[in-house]
Amino acid sequence: MIAPGNEASAKRRPSKVNVRILRQDGPGLPGYWERHQVDYEPDMNVISVLQKVAAQAKTSEGKNVAPVAWDCGCLEEVCGSCTMVINGRVRQSCSALVDRLLEDDANEIELRPMTKFPVVRDLVIDRSRLFRSLQRVKAWVPVDGYYDMGAGPRISREEQEQNYPLSQCMSCGCCLEACPQFTKIELQRQPGETAEDYAARKNASFDEGFVGAHAISQAMLFNAHPVGKNMASERMDALTSAGGVQDCGNAQNCVAVCPKEIPLTTSIARAGRAATVYSIKKIFDR
Amino acid sequence: MSSPATSAPIQSFLLRHDFLIRRLHSLSGLVPVGAYMCVHLLTNATLVGGASVFQDKVFTIHSLPLLPVIEWTFIFLPIIFHAVVGVWISRNGKSNLQQYPLSGNRRYTWQRITAYIAIVFIFTHVFHLHGWFQNEWWLKNIAEPLGMAKFRPYNAASSLSTALAGPTVIAGILWSIFYAVGVLACTFHLANGIWTAGITWGIWLTPKSQRRASIACVLFGLFIGAAGLSALVAAKTTKVDAAARTENEMYDARIQSHSITPDDHKRSAPHVVEEPKPVPVQ
Repeated sequence: MIAPGNEASAKRRPSKVNVRILRQDGPGLPGYWERHQVDYEPDMNVISVLQKVAAQAKTSEGKNVAPVAWDCGCLEEVCGSCTMVINGRVRQSCSALVDRLLEDDANEIELRPMTKFPVVRDLVIDRSRLFRSLQRVKAWVPVDGYYDMGAGPRISREEQEQNYPLSQCMSCGCCLEACPQFTKIELQRQPGETAEDYAARKNASFDEGFVGAHAISQAMLFNAHPVGKNMASERMDALTSAGGVQDCGNAQNCVAVCPKEIPLTTSIARAGRAATVYSIKKIFDR
Repeated sequence: MSSPATSAPIQSFLLRHDFLIRRLHSLSGLVPVGAYMCVHLLTNATLVGGASVFQDKVFTIHSLPLLPVIEWTFIFLPIIFHAVVGVWISRNGKSNLQQYPLSGNRRYTWQRITAYIAIVFIFTHVFHLHGWFQNEWWLKNIAEPLGMAKFRPYNAASSLSTALAGPTVIAGILWSIFYAVGVLACTFHLANGIWTAGITWGIWLTPKSQRRASIACVLFGLFIGAAGLSALVAAKTTKVDAAARTENEMYDARIQSHSITPDDHKRSAPHVVEEPKPVPVQ
């Protein structure tokens, strides 16, 4: 026995799903749009659509093409690798359900790679700047050593509750994609340049750009940690150098698009306060 | 890589002092520029009380010693610094309001739009009324032939009203629109600037406190904007002849009490104190 409501919605279900994909054959090459059509199935997500698209390797006009490349990992919105711009908004494709997307626009689903990172191929992008930012702010607890350091200090419940949301960051890059202050940095490897030279040149260029909300938030997380605190001044040096927390323009898109609902703007304001105190201290403690 | 070699040292200077420059930009927007703007608009609003009340305030301001030095140190140079750095900052960002039409993003974009309006407005406004440089040659050969440098501090309300009326009716309407848009743009820019500065300097941290702060900033903006617009309406409705008569009387009284020294440059026309006519003997 099927409820009348379900019957009605079953009738509205399309037999085909149209997808428009912004493709790019390689780094630095021009992008181009391509239409694909796949059979509808209930409870699809964008990943399962992309699996079908790649398996068909054929546009909706029937032209044979190279399979569309994309990236994914956990398929449960905790790794961040399948992040792309879906119907104009950055999000994870694994948690983007086709039935919901068709409610917005029944005709078509639009997929494009993130615009703030260099495209490797089609929907695959190079997120190395995001990880470089984490290195810049030393987003870790320094416990590496040759001897047992014993048990760590206790963290109060209050601190735990403040820190736990920040620890959920999966480095997906949504906050950076939506940030008007975070602009794309894309370099090309020059002929004859070694991989090491290219990496060094890229890092030097990244280090002049805005670190971004994720790194600011991680710096605040590790500055609040009893052991991580030992490197607090180094993190503050990073956050008050070129491209630090001062580059934030307070558009607050980061917190609006964060799939983990991390209080990024609170972290930014906290970093702003810490930077105010740190920079004044630096003047008078010299 | 594509930037010309000449800009490389400037680029490196900006990068090395990125934090200091941006924090000074934020600070200069609050003090002295923002604080000055409040004083300025509230002083203007006293014109609602009549030409004499406004004239009294202008006399007080013009009794300050070394006024041009004060103007350049605490008003003009900070505004120029704030404007130049602000243009550089806005050019480093890229608005994406189309993709993300969120309220914070809307304010981010409007902060930049009003900034550009404010730059055009302030530079024109200072030229229109003040003339930028109180230099004889500049005023006589450049500013005044262009119809600028219209304000006369010792004929404050009447010269302001004449300046805003312009040479024709249409010019008067255009000046009114120009000042209304300019004042409102500056007001939004300051009110929203106070809100963002509170985050930048780390005063309000959580979404809850930021929301409370934004309500306070909206109320502040409404108050300052109303003060600015009421001054504009008062200036447009001032009766020039009556105001000039009052101002001249106040000038004469101040000269007599030695609280100001005679200065025809600050007046609409050199005004001769009329000697009382001898009563004919019958």
